[in-house]
Amino acid sequence: MHNAIEVRNLCKQFRVRHRSHLKVRLMSMFKPTQPIQTFLALQDVSFTVPHGQTVAIIGRNGSGKSTLLSLLARVYRKTSGEILLYNPQGGPARTAPLLDLSAGFHLDLTGMDNILFFGAILGYSQKEMQDRFDSIVEFAELGDKVDTTLRNWNEGARLRLGFSIAVHTNPDILLVDEVLAVGDEAFQAKCYALIRRMQAQGKTILFVTHDLRAVERVAQRVIWLKQGHLHMDGPVQEVLSAYRVFSAEQGLESMK
Amino acid sequence: MELWRYRHLVKMLVARELKVRYKNSVLGFVWSIVPPLLQVLVFTFLARNAFGVPAKNYSAYLLCGLIPWTFFNTAILDASQSLVINYTMIRKVYLPREAIPLANVLSNFVHFMLGWVVYFAAFLVIARAFGGGIPLLPSMVFFPFLVLLEALLVTGCALFVSALNVFYEDVKYVLQTLFSLAVFVLPVLYPADLIYYSNTVQHHPWLFKLYLITPIAALIDAFRHCLLQSISPGTINMHLAGKPSLPFQPAEFAVSCVITIFTAWGGYAYFNARKWQFTERP
Repeated sequence: MHNAIEVRNLCKQFRVRHRSHLKVRLMSMFKPTQPIQTFLALQDVSFTVPHGQTVAIIGRNGSGKSTLLSLLARVYRKTSGEILLYNPQGGPARTAPLLDLSAGFHLDLTGMDNILFFGAILGYSQKEMQDRFDSIVEFAELGDKVDTTLRNWNEGARLRLGFSIAVHTNPDILLVDEVLAVGDEAFQAKCYALIRRMQAQGKTILFVTHDLRAVERVAQRVIWLKQGHLHMDGPVQEVLSAYRVFSAEQGLESMK
Repeated sequence: MELWRYRHLVKMLVARELKVRYKNSVLGFVWSIVPPLLQVLVFTFLARNAFGVPAKNYSAYLLCGLIPWTFFNTAILDASQSLVINYTMIRKVYLPREAIPLANVLSNFVHFMLGWVVYFAAFLVIARAFGGGIPLLPSMVFFPFLVLLEALLVTGCALFVSALNVFYEDVKYVLQTLFSLAVFVLPVLYPADLIYYSNTVQHHPWLFKLYLITPIAALIDAFRHCLLQSISPGTINMHLAGKPSLPFQPAEFAVSCVITIFTAWGGYAYFNARKWQFTERP
Protein backbone atom coordinates (compact mmCIF):
# COMPACT_ATOMS: atom_id res chain seq x y z
CA MET A 1 0.00 0.00 0.00
CA HIS A 2 1.37 3.37 -1.03
CA ASN A 3 1.20 6.53 0.97
CA ALA A 4 -0.38 9.63 -0.54
CA ILE A 5 2.87 11.56 -0.58
CA GLU A 6 6.32 10.01 -0.52
CA VAL A 7 9.26 12.39 -0.54
CA ARG A 8 12.78 10.97 -0.35
CA ASN A 9 16.06 12.86 -0.06
CA LEU A 10 14.60 15.84 -1.88
CA CYS A 11 17.06 18.60 -2.79
CA LYS A 12 16.42 21.80 -4.64
CA GLN A 13 19.23 24.01 -5.78
CA PHE A 14 18.73 27.43 -7.31
CA ARG A 15 21.25 29.36 -9.30
CA VAL A 16 21.83 32.78 -7.90
CA ARG A 17 21.66 35.08 -10.86
CA HIS A 18 22.41 38.73 -10.87
CA ARG A 19 21.06 40.96 -13.58
CA SER A 20 24.19 41.85 -15.44
CA HIS A 21 25.14 44.16 -18.26
CA LEU A 22 25.58 42.78 -21.73
CA LYS A 23 29.26 43.72 -21.59
CA VAL A 24 29.84 41.63 -18.48
CA ARG A 25 28.00 38.72 -20.00
CA LEU A 26 29.97 38.86 -23.23
CA MET A 27 33.26 39.05 -21.38
CA SER A 28 32.40 36.14 -19.12
CA MET A 29 31.85 34.06 -22.23
CA PHE A 30 35.55 34.30 -23.01
CA LYS A 31 37.02 34.05 -19.55
CA PRO A 32 34.92 32.53 -16.82
CA THR A 33 35.38 35.00 -13.98
CA GLN A 34 33.60 33.43 -11.06
CA PRO A 35 31.91 30.06 -10.61
CA ILE A 36 28.11 30.12 -10.76
CA GLN A 37 26.75 30.79 -7.30
CA THR A 38 24.16 28.34 -6.11
CA PHE A 39 21.82 28.26 -3.19
CA LEU A 40 20.27 25.16 -1.63
CA ALA A 41 16.62 25.87 -0.84
CA LEU A 42 15.91 22.31 0.28
CA GLN A 43 18.47 19.81 1.52
CA ASP A 44 17.79 16.13 1.89
CA VAL A 45 14.15 16.39 2.92
CA SER A 46 12.32 13.09 3.42
CA PHE A 47 8.84 12.43 4.72
CA THR A 48 5.73 10.43 3.89
CA VAL A 49 2.10 11.39 4.33
CA PRO A 50 -0.52 8.63 4.56
CA HIS A 51 -3.88 9.04 2.81
CA GLY A 52 -6.33 11.31 4.57
CA GLN A 53 -3.83 13.14 6.75
CA THR A 54 -3.68 16.91 7.05
CA VAL A 55 -0.16 18.20 7.47
CA ALA A 56 0.89 21.76 8.25
CA ILE A 57 4.31 23.03 7.18
CA ILE A 58 5.75 25.79 9.32
CA GLY A 59 9.03 27.66 9.47
CA ARG A 60 10.49 31.13 9.18
CA ASN A 61 10.50 33.08 5.92
CA GLY A 62 12.98 31.58 3.47
CA SER A 63 13.05 28.19 5.14
CA GLY A 64 11.88 26.41 1.97
CA LYS A 65 8.17 25.97 2.66
CA SER A 66 6.93 27.45 -0.57
CA THR A 67 9.71 25.77 -2.54
CA LEU A 68 8.58 22.42 -1.19
CA LEU A 69 4.98 23.08 -2.16
CA SER A 70 6.00 24.33 -5.61
CA LEU A 71 8.01 21.15 -6.13
CA LEU A 72 5.00 19.04 -5.20
CA ALA A 73 2.86 21.11 -7.61
CA ARG A 74 5.46 20.56 -10.38
CA VAL A 75 6.13 24.25 -10.86
CA TYR A 76 9.83 23.65 -10.16
CA ARG A 77 11.88 20.66 -11.15
CA LYS A 78 13.70 18.90 -8.32
CA THR A 79 17.49 18.86 -8.34
CA SER A 80 17.68 15.38 -6.85
CA GLY A 81 15.63 12.99 -4.75
CA GLU A 82 12.20 11.54 -5.31
CA ILE A 83 8.60 12.79 -5.16
CA LEU A 84 5.77 10.30 -5.54
CA LEU A 85 2.09 11.20 -5.32
CA TYR A 86 -0.58 8.48 -5.25
CA ASN A 87 -4.36 8.36 -5.05
CA PRO A 88 -5.94 5.87 -2.61
CA GLN A 89 -6.20 3.26 -5.39
CA GLY A 90 -2.47 3.44 -5.98
CA GLY A 91 -2.65 5.37 -9.27
CA PRO A 92 -1.17 8.81 -9.92
CA ALA A 93 -2.83 11.43 -7.74
CA ARG A 94 -4.79 14.44 -8.90
CA THR A 95 -3.49 17.48 -7.10
CA ALA A 96 -5.14 20.85 -6.74
CA PRO A 97 -2.49 23.45 -6.10
CA LEU A 98 -3.68 26.57 -4.31
CA LEU A 99 -0.41 28.45 -4.44
CA ASP A 100 -1.97 31.65 -5.60
CA LEU A 101 -5.68 31.67 -6.05
CA SER A 102 -5.89 34.17 -8.85
CA ALA A 103 -2.91 32.94 -10.90
CA GLY A 104 -4.94 31.11 -13.50
CA PHE A 105 -7.48 33.86 -13.99
CA HIS A 106 -7.83 36.26 -16.82
CA LEU A 107 -9.31 39.57 -15.80
CA ASP A 108 -10.92 40.27 -19.17
CA LEU A 109 -13.03 37.14 -19.18
CA THR A 110 -16.25 36.53 -17.29
CA GLY A 111 -16.47 34.38 -14.17
CA MET A 112 -18.11 31.67 -16.23
CA ASP A 113 -15.25 31.57 -18.77
CA ASN A 114 -12.70 31.62 -15.99
CA ILE A 115 -14.31 28.62 -14.32
CA LEU A 116 -13.98 26.64 -17.54
CA PHE A 117 -10.44 27.90 -18.04
CA PHE A 118 -9.19 27.20 -14.54
CA GLY A 119 -10.77 23.75 -14.77
CA ALA A 120 -8.87 23.14 -18.00
CA ILE A 121 -5.59 24.03 -16.26
CA LEU A 122 -6.37 21.36 -13.68
CA GLY A 123 -7.08 18.92 -16.51
CA TYR A 124 -10.90 18.92 -16.69
CA SER A 125 -13.04 19.17 -19.80
CA GLN A 126 -15.64 21.83 -20.41
CA LYS A 127 -18.44 19.32 -19.80
CA GLU A 128 -17.04 18.24 -16.44
CA MET A 129 -16.78 21.85 -15.32
CA GLN A 130 -20.28 22.74 -16.48
CA ASP A 131 -21.66 19.93 -14.31
CA ARG A 132 -20.03 21.51 -11.28
CA PHE A 133 -20.85 25.05 -12.29
CA ASP A 134 -23.79 25.64 -9.94
CA SER A 135 -22.12 24.36 -6.80
CA ILE A 136 -18.95 26.36 -7.56
CA VAL A 137 -20.93 29.58 -7.94
CA GLU A 138 -22.99 28.86 -4.87
CA PHE A 139 -20.02 28.12 -2.63
CA ALA A 140 -18.19 31.23 -3.82
CA GLU A 141 -21.32 33.33 -3.13
CA LEU A 142 -21.14 34.95 -6.54
CA GLY A 143 -24.74 35.06 -7.75
CA ASP A 144 -25.21 36.97 -11.00
CA LYS A 145 -21.65 38.28 -10.84
CA VAL A 146 -20.37 35.22 -12.76
CA ASP A 147 -21.55 36.81 -15.99
CA THR A 148 -19.38 39.90 -15.57
CA THR A 149 -15.63 40.18 -16.16
CA LEU A 150 -13.27 39.61 -13.26
CA ARG A 151 -11.75 43.06 -13.69
CA ASN A 152 -14.72 44.54 -11.87
CA TRP A 153 -14.66 42.10 -8.97
CA ASN A 154 -13.13 42.72 -5.58
CA GLU A 155 -10.13 40.72 -4.41
CA GLY A 156 -12.23 38.65 -2.04
CA ALA A 157 -14.63 37.50 -4.74
CA ARG A 158 -11.76 36.36 -6.99
CA LEU A 159 -10.27 34.50 -4.07
CA ARG A 160 -13.54 32.77 -3.29
CA LEU A 161 -13.89 31.71 -6.92
CA GLY A 162 -10.38 30.25 -7.03
CA PHE A 163 -10.81 28.30 -3.83
CA SER A 164 -14.24 27.12 -4.85
CA ILE A 165 -13.03 25.79 -8.21
CA ALA A 166 -10.03 24.02 -6.71
CA VAL A 167 -12.02 22.16 -4.08
CA HIS A 168 -14.88 21.27 -6.39
CA THR A 169 -12.62 19.52 -8.87
CA ASN A 170 -12.37 16.65 -6.39
CA PRO A 171 -8.61 16.40 -6.01
CA ASP A 172 -6.85 13.60 -4.11
CA ILE A 173 -4.26 15.96 -2.69
CA LEU A 174 -4.78 19.62 -1.89
CA LEU A 175 -1.73 21.88 -1.68
CA VAL A 176 -2.46 25.18 0.04
CA ASP A 177 0.05 28.00 0.38
CA GLU A 178 -0.95 30.70 2.84
CA VAL A 179 -3.98 31.71 0.85
CA LEU A 180 -6.76 31.24 3.35
CA ALA A 181 -5.51 34.13 5.43
CA VAL A 182 -6.71 36.62 2.83
CA GLY A 183 -10.48 36.21 2.82
CA ASP A 184 -12.77 37.82 5.38
CA GLU A 185 -13.77 36.21 8.65
CA ALA A 186 -16.98 34.64 7.39
CA PHE A 187 -15.38 33.16 4.31
CA GLN A 188 -12.46 31.79 6.29
CA ALA A 189 -14.89 30.01 8.58
CA LYS A 190 -16.54 28.56 5.51
CA CYS A 191 -13.18 27.40 4.15
CA TYR A 192 -12.30 25.67 7.38
CA ALA A 193 -15.68 23.95 7.39
CA LEU A 194 -14.99 22.79 3.86
CA ILE A 195 -11.51 21.59 4.79
CA ARG A 196 -13.12 19.54 7.56
CA ARG A 197 -15.50 18.07 5.02
CA MET A 198 -12.59 17.17 2.75
CA GLN A 199 -10.79 15.62 5.70
CA ALA A 200 -13.90 13.55 6.38
CA GLN A 201 -13.86 12.44 2.74
CA GLY A 202 -10.33 11.16 3.24
CA LYS A 203 -8.47 13.79 1.19
CA THR A 204 -4.83 14.47 1.88
CA ILE A 205 -4.06 18.11 2.59
CA LEU A 206 -0.70 19.83 2.83
CA PHE A 207 -0.68 23.45 3.82
CA VAL A 208 1.82 26.18 4.54
CA THR A 209 0.97 28.86 7.04
CA HIS A 210 2.27 31.25 9.66
CA ASP A 211 -1.03 31.17 11.49
CA LEU A 212 -0.34 28.74 14.35
CA ARG A 213 -3.94 28.89 15.54
CA ALA A 214 -5.08 27.60 12.16
CA VAL A 215 -2.55 24.79 12.51
CA GLU A 216 -4.07 23.80 15.83
CA ARG A 217 -7.53 23.88 14.33
CA VAL A 218 -7.07 21.62 11.31
CA ALA A 219 -3.70 19.89 11.22
CA GLN A 220 -3.02 16.38 12.48
CA ARG A 221 0.72 16.66 12.14
CA VAL A 222 3.29 19.42 11.70
CA ILE A 223 6.51 19.57 9.71
CA TRP A 224 8.95 22.31 10.70
CA LEU A 225 11.44 23.39 8.06
CA LYS A 226 14.54 25.31 9.10
CA GLN A 227 16.96 26.67 6.51
CA GLY A 228 16.05 24.03 3.98
CA HIS A 229 16.31 21.12 6.40
CA LEU A 230 13.49 19.13 7.89
CA HIS A 231 14.01 20.21 11.48
CA MET A 232 11.14 18.50 13.24
CA ASP A 233 8.23 16.29 12.21
CA GLY A 234 5.62 15.13 14.67
CA PRO A 235 2.32 15.63 16.51
CA VAL A 236 0.85 19.13 16.47
CA GLN A 237 1.35 20.23 20.09
CA GLU A 238 4.86 18.84 20.39
CA VAL A 239 6.19 20.64 17.30
CA LEU A 240 4.26 23.82 17.95
CA SER A 241 5.53 24.26 21.49
CA ALA A 242 9.12 23.75 20.33
CA TYR A 243 8.53 26.21 17.51
CA ARG A 244 7.07 28.80 19.87
CA VAL A 245 10.14 28.56 22.10
CA PHE A 246 12.37 28.95 19.04
CA SER A 247 10.42 31.94 17.77
CA ALA A 248 10.58 33.62 21.16
CA GLU A 249 14.36 33.12 21.30
CA GLN A 250 14.77 34.55 17.83
CA GLY A 251 12.67 37.52 18.85
CA LEU A 252 14.77 38.12 21.97
CA GLU A 253 18.00 37.88 20.00
CA SER A 254 16.93 40.50 17.53
CA MET A 255 16.11 42.84 20.42
CA LYS A 256 19.62 42.71 21.81
CA MET B 1 1.75 12.66 -25.36
CA GLU B 2 1.14 15.06 -22.54
CA LEU B 3 -0.36 17.81 -24.67
CA TRP B 4 -3.16 15.47 -25.65
CA ARG B 5 -4.22 15.10 -22.03
CA TYR B 6 -4.30 18.87 -21.80
CA ARG B 7 -6.17 19.40 -25.08
CA HIS B 8 -9.04 21.09 -23.23
CA LEU B 9 -6.57 23.61 -21.91
CA VAL B 10 -5.13 24.30 -25.37
CA LYS B 11 -8.67 24.73 -26.69
CA MET B 12 -9.50 27.14 -23.87
CA LEU B 13 -6.27 29.08 -24.37
CA VAL B 14 -7.03 29.53 -28.06
CA ALA B 15 -10.61 30.60 -27.32
CA ARG B 16 -9.29 33.01 -24.73
CA GLU B 17 -6.80 34.51 -27.19
CA LEU B 18 -9.54 35.00 -29.75
CA LYS B 19 -11.98 36.48 -27.24
CA VAL B 20 -9.59 38.77 -25.43
CA ARG B 21 -8.15 40.28 -28.59
CA TYR B 22 -11.40 42.07 -29.33
CA LYS B 23 -12.67 42.24 -25.76
CA ASN B 24 -13.84 45.83 -25.68
CA SER B 25 -14.58 46.42 -29.34
CA VAL B 26 -18.04 46.63 -30.82
CA LEU B 27 -17.22 45.16 -34.21
CA GLY B 28 -15.08 42.30 -32.85
CA PHE B 29 -14.00 39.88 -35.53
CA VAL B 30 -14.48 42.45 -38.29
CA TRP B 31 -11.22 43.98 -37.08
CA SER B 32 -9.25 40.96 -38.24
CA ILE B 33 -10.53 41.46 -41.80
CA VAL B 34 -10.75 45.22 -42.27
CA PRO B 35 -7.06 46.22 -41.78
CA PRO B 36 -5.62 43.79 -44.36
CA LEU B 37 -8.43 44.74 -46.74
CA LEU B 38 -7.58 48.43 -46.40
CA GLN B 39 -3.90 47.58 -46.80
CA VAL B 40 -4.65 45.84 -50.09
CA LEU B 41 -6.85 48.70 -51.30
CA VAL B 42 -4.20 51.32 -50.58
CA PHE B 43 -1.35 49.28 -52.05
CA THR B 44 -3.33 48.45 -55.17
CA PHE B 45 -4.33 52.07 -55.59
CA LEU B 46 -0.71 53.17 -55.24
CA ALA B 47 0.53 50.47 -57.59
CA ARG B 48 -1.97 51.44 -60.28
CA ASN B 49 -1.70 55.21 -59.96
CA ALA B 50 1.70 56.09 -58.54
CA PHE B 51 3.88 53.29 -59.89
CA GLY B 52 1.88 52.58 -63.04
CA VAL B 53 1.67 48.81 -62.56
CA PRO B 54 -0.66 47.49 -65.25
CA ALA B 55 -0.75 43.89 -63.90
CA LYS B 56 -4.20 42.32 -63.94
CA ASN B 57 -5.44 41.13 -60.54
CA TYR B 58 -2.58 42.84 -58.74
CA SER B 59 -4.52 42.69 -55.46
CA ALA B 60 -4.72 38.89 -55.73
CA TYR B 61 -0.93 38.71 -56.11
CA LEU B 62 -0.53 41.07 -53.19
CA LEU B 63 -2.88 39.13 -50.89
CA CYS B 64 -1.15 35.87 -51.77
CA GLY B 65 1.97 37.31 -50.17
CA LEU B 66 0.29 39.32 -47.46
CA ILE B 67 -1.77 36.50 -45.90
CA PRO B 68 1.14 34.08 -45.29
CA TRP B 69 3.38 36.96 -44.21
CA THR B 70 0.87 38.32 -41.68
CA PHE B 71 0.43 34.87 -40.13
CA PHE B 72 4.18 34.42 -39.89
CA ASN B 73 4.95 37.74 -38.26
CA THR B 74 1.96 38.18 -35.93
CA ALA B 75 2.04 34.59 -34.65
CA ILE B 76 5.76 34.79 -33.88
CA LEU B 77 5.50 38.24 -32.30
CA ASP B 78 2.53 37.17 -30.16
CA ALA B 79 4.24 33.95 -29.12
CA SER B 80 7.46 35.74 -28.21
CA GLN B 81 5.58 37.59 -25.45
CA SER B 82 3.29 34.73 -24.42
CA LEU B 83 5.37 33.19 -21.65
CA VAL B 84 6.19 36.55 -20.11
CA ILE B 85 2.54 37.61 -20.17
CA ASN B 86 1.45 34.34 -18.56
CA TYR B 87 4.38 34.29 -16.16
CA THR B 88 2.31 34.45 -12.97
CA MET B 89 0.37 31.46 -14.19
CA ILE B 90 3.32 29.17 -14.96
CA ARG B 91 4.87 30.09 -11.63
CA LYS B 92 1.83 28.96 -9.69
CA VAL B 93 0.27 25.99 -11.43
CA TYR B 94 1.59 23.16 -13.51
CA LEU B 95 0.60 23.03 -17.13
CA PRO B 96 2.53 21.84 -20.16
CA ARG B 97 4.37 25.03 -20.98
CA GLU B 98 4.41 24.52 -24.72
CA ALA B 99 0.62 24.92 -24.61
CA ILE B 100 1.00 28.68 -24.15
CA PRO B 101 2.98 29.62 -27.30
CA LEU B 102 1.11 26.93 -29.24
CA ALA B 103 -2.19 28.57 -28.35
CA ASN B 104 -0.87 31.81 -29.85
CA VAL B 105 0.11 30.03 -33.03
CA LEU B 106 -3.28 28.32 -33.26
CA SER B 107 -5.32 31.47 -32.67
CA ASN B 108 -3.34 33.23 -35.39
CA PHE B 109 -3.80 30.18 -37.56
CA VAL B 110 -7.56 30.73 -37.27
CA HIS B 111 -7.09 34.26 -38.60
CA PHE B 112 -4.81 32.91 -41.32
CA MET B 113 -7.47 30.48 -42.53
CA LEU B 114 -10.10 33.19 -42.28
CA GLY B 115 -7.91 35.30 -44.55
CA TRP B 116 -7.84 32.52 -47.14
CA VAL B 117 -11.60 32.10 -46.96
CA VAL B 118 -12.03 35.80 -47.73
CA TYR B 119 -9.42 35.52 -50.50
CA PHE B 120 -11.12 32.59 -52.24
CA ALA B 121 -14.56 34.08 -51.80
CA ALA B 122 -13.41 37.37 -53.29
CA PHE B 123 -11.42 36.14 -56.28
CA LEU B 124 -12.88 32.72 -57.09
CA VAL B 125 -16.53 33.55 -56.50
CA ILE B 126 -17.42 37.24 -56.32
CA ALA B 127 -14.93 38.68 -58.82
CA ARG B 128 -15.64 35.89 -61.32
CA ALA B 129 -19.31 36.64 -61.17
CA PHE B 130 -18.39 40.09 -62.50
CA GLY B 131 -16.17 38.65 -65.22
CA GLY B 132 -12.80 39.13 -63.45
CA GLY B 133 -11.13 37.02 -60.80
CA ILE B 134 -8.67 34.17 -61.06
CA PRO B 135 -9.08 30.81 -62.79
CA LEU B 136 -9.12 27.44 -61.00
CA LEU B 137 -5.71 25.85 -61.43
CA PRO B 138 -4.63 22.21 -61.03
CA SER B 139 -1.70 23.37 -58.90
CA MET B 140 -4.20 24.45 -56.22
CA VAL B 141 -4.24 20.86 -54.91
CA PHE B 142 -0.90 21.65 -53.21
CA PHE B 143 -2.50 24.44 -51.20
CA PRO B 144 -3.25 22.35 -48.04
CA PHE B 145 0.33 21.08 -48.06
CA LEU B 146 1.67 24.65 -48.10
CA VAL B 147 -0.65 25.65 -45.27
CA LEU B 148 0.63 22.78 -43.13
CA LEU B 149 4.21 23.58 -43.99
CA GLU B 150 3.80 27.18 -42.91
CA ALA B 151 2.10 26.08 -39.68
CA LEU B 152 5.11 23.84 -38.99
CA LEU B 153 7.56 26.66 -39.67
CA VAL B 154 5.68 29.14 -37.50
CA THR B 155 5.37 26.63 -34.65
CA GLY B 156 9.10 25.97 -34.63
CA CYS B 157 9.99 29.65 -34.67
CA ALA B 158 7.34 30.48 -32.04
CA LEU B 159 8.62 27.84 -29.60
CA PHE B 160 12.20 29.01 -30.02
CA VAL B 161 11.44 32.70 -29.74
CA SER B 162 9.09 32.35 -26.76
CA ALA B 163 11.67 30.41 -24.76
CA LEU B 164 14.45 32.80 -25.66
CA ASN B 165 12.36 35.82 -24.69
CA VAL B 166 12.04 34.59 -21.10
CA PHE B 167 15.77 35.09 -20.63
CA TYR B 168 16.46 37.93 -23.04
CA GLU B 169 13.61 40.34 -23.41
CA ASP B 170 15.47 42.07 -26.22
CA VAL B 171 13.98 39.42 -28.50
CA LYS B 172 10.85 41.47 -29.05
CA TYR B 173 12.76 44.49 -30.33
CA VAL B 174 14.99 42.39 -32.54
CA LEU B 175 11.92 40.74 -34.06
CA GLN B 176 10.09 44.03 -34.58
CA THR B 177 13.08 45.48 -36.39
CA LEU B 178 13.64 42.38 -38.50
CA PHE B 179 9.99 42.06 -39.47
CA SER B 180 9.57 45.70 -40.43
CA LEU B 181 12.47 45.30 -42.86
CA ALA B 182 11.56 41.82 -44.01
CA VAL B 183 8.26 42.95 -45.48
CA PHE B 184 10.25 44.85 -48.12
CA VAL B 185 12.93 42.21 -48.67
CA LEU B 186 10.59 39.24 -48.92
CA PRO B 187 8.46 38.79 -52.03
CA VAL B 188 5.35 40.14 -50.28
CA LEU B 189 4.59 43.33 -52.24
CA TYR B 190 6.11 42.05 -55.50
CA PRO B 191 6.87 38.65 -57.05
CA ALA B 192 10.29 37.03 -56.56
CA ASP B 193 10.98 37.61 -60.26
CA LEU B 194 11.87 41.23 -59.50
CA ILE B 195 14.63 40.11 -57.17
CA TYR B 196 15.87 37.65 -59.79
CA TYR B 197 16.20 40.33 -62.45
CA SER B 198 17.91 42.85 -60.18
CA ASN B 199 21.47 43.79 -61.12
CA THR B 200 23.17 42.37 -58.04
CA VAL B 201 21.51 38.99 -58.38
CA GLN B 202 22.27 38.81 -62.11
CA HIS B 203 25.96 39.12 -61.22
CA HIS B 204 25.79 36.72 -58.24
CA PRO B 205 23.21 34.04 -59.06
CA TRP B 206 23.89 32.15 -55.81
CA LEU B 207 22.24 35.02 -53.93
CA PHE B 208 18.93 34.13 -55.51
CA LYS B 209 19.33 30.47 -54.56
CA LEU B 210 19.92 31.60 -50.99
CA TYR B 211 16.85 33.82 -51.20
CA LEU B 212 14.66 30.97 -52.39
CA ILE B 213 15.73 28.51 -49.72
CA THR B 214 14.80 30.93 -46.94
CA PRO B 215 11.71 29.12 -45.67
CA ILE B 216 9.32 32.09 -45.44
CA ALA B 217 10.36 33.54 -48.82
CA ALA B 218 10.04 30.08 -50.35
CA LEU B 219 6.57 29.64 -48.87
CA ILE B 220 5.25 32.98 -50.10
CA ASP B 221 6.66 32.26 -53.55
CA ALA B 222 5.14 28.77 -53.50
CA PHE B 223 1.72 30.09 -52.47
CA ARG B 224 1.79 32.42 -55.46
CA HIS B 225 2.83 29.70 -57.89
CA CYS B 226 0.21 27.39 -56.46
CA LEU B 227 -2.75 29.78 -56.51
CA LEU B 228 -2.05 32.08 -59.43
CA GLN B 229 -0.79 31.94 -62.99
CA SER B 230 2.71 33.26 -63.34
CA ILE B 231 2.78 36.94 -63.97
CA SER B 232 5.13 38.46 -66.51
CA PRO B 233 7.64 40.71 -64.74
CA GLY B 234 7.09 43.48 -67.30
CA THR B 235 3.61 44.13 -65.96
CA ILE B 236 5.01 44.94 -62.50
CA ASN B 237 8.13 46.85 -63.53
CA MET B 238 8.20 48.19 -67.08
CA HIS B 239 11.99 48.06 -67.27
CA LEU B 240 11.60 44.30 -67.32
CA ALA B 241 9.26 44.27 -70.32
CA GLY B 242 9.81 41.22 -72.49
CA LYS B 243 11.62 39.18 -69.82
CA PRO B 244 10.11 35.74 -69.25
CA SER B 245 8.52 35.03 -65.86
CA LEU B 246 10.34 32.71 -63.54
CA PRO B 247 9.07 29.12 -63.24
CA PHE B 248 8.68 27.40 -59.87
CA GLN B 249 12.04 26.07 -58.58
CA PRO B 250 11.42 22.60 -57.09
CA ALA B 251 15.01 21.96 -55.98
CA GLU B 252 15.30 25.14 -53.91
CA PHE B 253 11.83 24.56 -52.52
CA ALA B 254 12.79 21.05 -51.41
CA VAL B 255 15.79 22.48 -49.56
CA SER B 256 13.56 25.07 -47.88
CA CYS B 257 11.24 22.24 -46.76
CA VAL B 258 14.15 20.47 -45.12
CA ILE B 259 15.14 23.72 -43.39
CA THR B 260 11.55 24.15 -42.20
CA ILE B 261 11.50 20.68 -40.69
CA PHE B 262 14.80 21.32 -38.94
CA THR B 263 13.49 24.65 -37.66
CA ALA B 264 10.44 22.96 -36.18
CA TRP B 265 12.51 20.24 -34.58
CA GLY B 266 15.16 22.66 -33.33
CA GLY B 267 12.60 25.07 -31.89
CA TYR B 268 10.91 22.28 -29.99
CA ALA B 269 14.22 20.86 -28.74
CA TYR B 270 15.37 24.26 -27.49
CA PHE B 271 12.04 24.87 -25.76
CA ASN B 272 12.19 21.48 -24.05
CA ALA B 273 15.74 22.02 -22.88
CA ARG B 274 14.82 25.36 -21.36
CA LYS B 275 11.30 24.90 -20.08
CA TRP B 276 12.19 24.04 -16.50
CA GLN B 277 14.29 27.15 -16.16
CA PHE B 278 11.37 29.46 -16.97
CA THR B 279 10.13 29.61 -13.38
CA GLU B 280 13.63 30.16 -12.04
CA ARG B 281 14.70 33.13 -14.09
CA PRO B 282 16.12 36.03 -12.09
